[in-house]
Amino acid sequence: MSLILLSYLCLAVFALGAAVRVYKQFTLPLHLRWELYPVKHEAGEKAQYGGSYMEELNWWEKERKKSLVNELRFMIPEIFLLRGLREENRRLWNVSFPFHCGLYLLLGTLLLLFIGAIFMVFGLQFAPVSTHHSSFLYYLTILVGFIGLISGTVGTAGLLWRRMTDPELKNYSSFADYLNLFLFLIFFSVSLLAWLFHDPAFNGARAYVYSLLLFGRIPEGMTSEGSFLGRLAVVLSSLLVAYIPFTHMSHMFMKYFMYHSVRWEDTPNLKGGKIEAAIWRNLGFRPTWAAAHIGADGKKTWKEIATPGSKGGK
Amino acid sequence: MRAPLLKPSDISRPSSRLGHIQAGGMPPLPPLYEDFNNVTPSELKEEKTANIEASLDDTVAIGIPKPENREEEEKYLRAFLTGLKKLFEKENNWGFLQPLLLSMELCAKCQTCSEACPVFEMSGRQEIYRPSFRSEVVRRIYRKYIKPYGKISARLTGDIDLNWTTIARLAELAYRCTLCRRCASVCPIGVDNALIAHEVRKLFSQELGIAPKEIHEKGSVQQLRMGSTTGMNPMAARDSIDFVQEEMEEITGYKVEIPWDKEGAEVLLLHNAGEVLSWPENVGAFAIVFQAAGISWTLSSEELGYDVVNYGLWYDDVQMARVAVKHAEIARKLKVKKMIIGECGHAHKALTVIADRVLTGDLNIPRESALVLLDDIVRSGKLNLDPSRNDFPITLHDPCNIVRAMGIVEPQRRILRRIAPKFREMIPHGVDNYCCGGGSGFAIMSGYNFPEWRTLVSSRKKFLQILEAFKDEPRDIPKYVCAPCSNCKGSIRDILDYYHARDRSHIYYGGLVDLIVNAMADMKKPIIRFDAE
Repeated sequence: MSLILLSYLCLAVFALGAAVRVYKQFTLPLHLRWELYPVKHEAGEKAQYGGSYMEELNWWEKERKKSLVNELRFMIPEIFLLRGLREENRRLWNVSFPFHCGLYLLLGTLLLLFIGAIFMVFGLQFAPVSTHHSSFLYYLTILVGFIGLISGTVGTAGLLWRRMTDPELKNYSSFADYLNLFLFLIFFSVSLLAWLFHDPAFNGARAYVYSLLLFGRIPEGMTSEGSFLGRLAVVLSSLLVAYIPFTHMSHMFMKYFMYHSVRWEDTPNLKGGKIEAAIWRNLGFRPTWAAAHIGADGKKTWKEIATPGSKGGK
Repeated sequence: MRAPLLKPSDISRPSSRLGHIQAGGMPPLPPLYEDFNNVTPSELKEEKTANIEASLDDTVAIGIPKPENREEEEKYLRAFLTGLKKLFEKENNWGFLQPLLLSMELCAKCQTCSEACPVFEMSGRQEIYRPSFRSEVVRRIYRKYIKPYGKISARLTGDIDLNWTTIARLAELAYRCTLCRRCASVCPIGVDNALIAHEVRKLFSQELGIAPKEIHEKGSVQQLRMGSTTGMNPMAARDSIDFVQEEMEEITGYKVEIPWDKEGAEVLLLHNAGEVLSWPENVGAFAIVFQAAGISWTLSSEELGYDVVNYGLWYDDVQMARVAVKHAEIARKLKVKKMIIGECGHAHKALTVIADRVLTGDLNIPRESALVLLDDIVRSGKLNLDPSRNDFPITLHDPCNIVRAMGIVEPQRRILRRIAPKFREMIPHGVDNYCCGGGSGFAIMSGYNFPEWRTLVSSRKKFLQILEAFKDEPRDIPKYVCAPCSNCKGSIRDILDYYHARDRSHIYYGGLVDLIVNAMADMKKPIIRFDAE
């Protein structure tokens, strides 16, 4: 039960940490445009060569064309294949891709275990000899989990090795950078050993997910005691999940804002629109910059400071 | 020889020079230019640098006076930390708060950005020019001195000491990045190291009043006071352009009338005033094209109306906003339908993209790139064009602010494909282009030996690209680098001068509109005269 509580706690920490970071993004003031082309929601060829709506004569009189298909054509390989890293830094991709692939496949395994646990909740047998559906799920879980653990272990070991031996990476690596990778390596290795020696069909893992779903209830015919390695894997995975939102690894969800709120944020300011209203709010802020030419005193607003009457200070 | 790997924390360690380019340490130039392979920036003279901060590298961009005593040093440090804090406050930095926070927090230190940076590559991989070096210094200071429990977290995430040496070098280092944002475009996560350099520049300008004089005192301050960064007042601007009008007829045999302050015109054309002084034929060429195409247009003789530059874009949000508002005021007063930005890259970005979230209400007058309008004119068939008049090899330089920052990529190419039979692309080009080396103010910064450093280091990649684009052409025929941006033209002019590329390879440079006029069959004489340059 203590493991279950730890997992709940860590999931809650993750959810809270991630929610705070995401919430903060939504509450930040509208920023100046700082897009970087290519902007992948542009329609047609523009998304490929990096063109924008500003290539059109009198663009403000025309309907803006955006393409979700173009955006997805970029995002899907970016998320799942790390397209950018593959194109720009193949050497690092060789180890980073297996690492990320391992994480994705373990998330997939977790999803499959979750579905399996739901089956169990409804009293369905979950064994290779039962229904076609449960058999498929059973073997798919083993396959995905196995590949995920191998890929993740190899990738993390590769990333750690690269960071320790490549002079340019090493020169910028801090204790926390090594710690992050070391924790992942321990997690993947312990999980791989637990799978290999104690839980090759992921039955124990599925039972744990079942217990998570039913607040500690143990599936019929199983004991609450898992293997030491299995329990250690649960502890490590729980702690890792809780840790992620507070590190740069939060890019797993914060990258959304990097792209959609900055790199691709090209919404023009049209008269009377929401953007204009947000600009008015921003121009009402009272800056305190101290340089003489700014002329700020904490009372004047940005609008007052930027008006043409200002002569640029001394 | 590989440069030693400095650590970000080394920036705090006093020494005579943190980074130094060795003779022969930069990527070699090809035959005809090999005599420059061992050339490095001239040594700074001791008497000129004795009282200023000059311990970063082989050059000086700002020249910050050294503090006279401990108290003054402490004052600088306090002001620096106060300014750094303000970068993360919405009241002070709403304009860049979200992009800055994301770039500060998400870097995975994979160093992918380094390979994209022409300054880092061309310096022979000097560690101080690595895009992440500067950012890592800023991140460490921020985490240690601004964030809670910084002293503890510094032990885990990377330590750094804050002293006069640190901040003085950091101020200089912010002016070793051209803000081309090529690093950001290759970052797998989207982290923007150029933005961090931009924010450091802002901190120093907006809190400490420190910036290179060419972009501040002689730049945006002079522009707001006198009307132009060139120092031209409205009368001088009119006189100069009236002279251009006369010259155009003499050069091309085509009589052109340049309209001034025409209320209700469709188009207000805004030039970089540097064009008037350095490349007047560009100003004249616009007039010829607009007149021939029947465009209803005007120039403005009001202060700032004849100079579209906005140096605030590079270092100071307040100065940027002041200049942009003034430009919009002028357009409003003239009741024009749109503002057309001439061949000036940073002005494109400042007025069209950045100021888009500064200008509201009746100041929000549509703004458009001249390249788009020129493309429309060329395609409309209103001009009688004879491409054979441009029968010489031409390559196109893409100004970063027009392509990567605005997505205007194809109009200029459509024009060239129509009027230049020997047009060829540089590699890479478009949004993957390399900066001319003069971006973010470098082209106009002229103190100490900075122009030499620029030409040898930050512009070196562009020079290599230009030579590569023309490598299969006979040496003795004229070749043309088309650079539709004043600052880029300035850099390319300096590259060609420094390396004697006109004499050695017959490489010339100029704008895009010049090429259009050169192709116009109505011109009795060509506007591009290679022998006259």
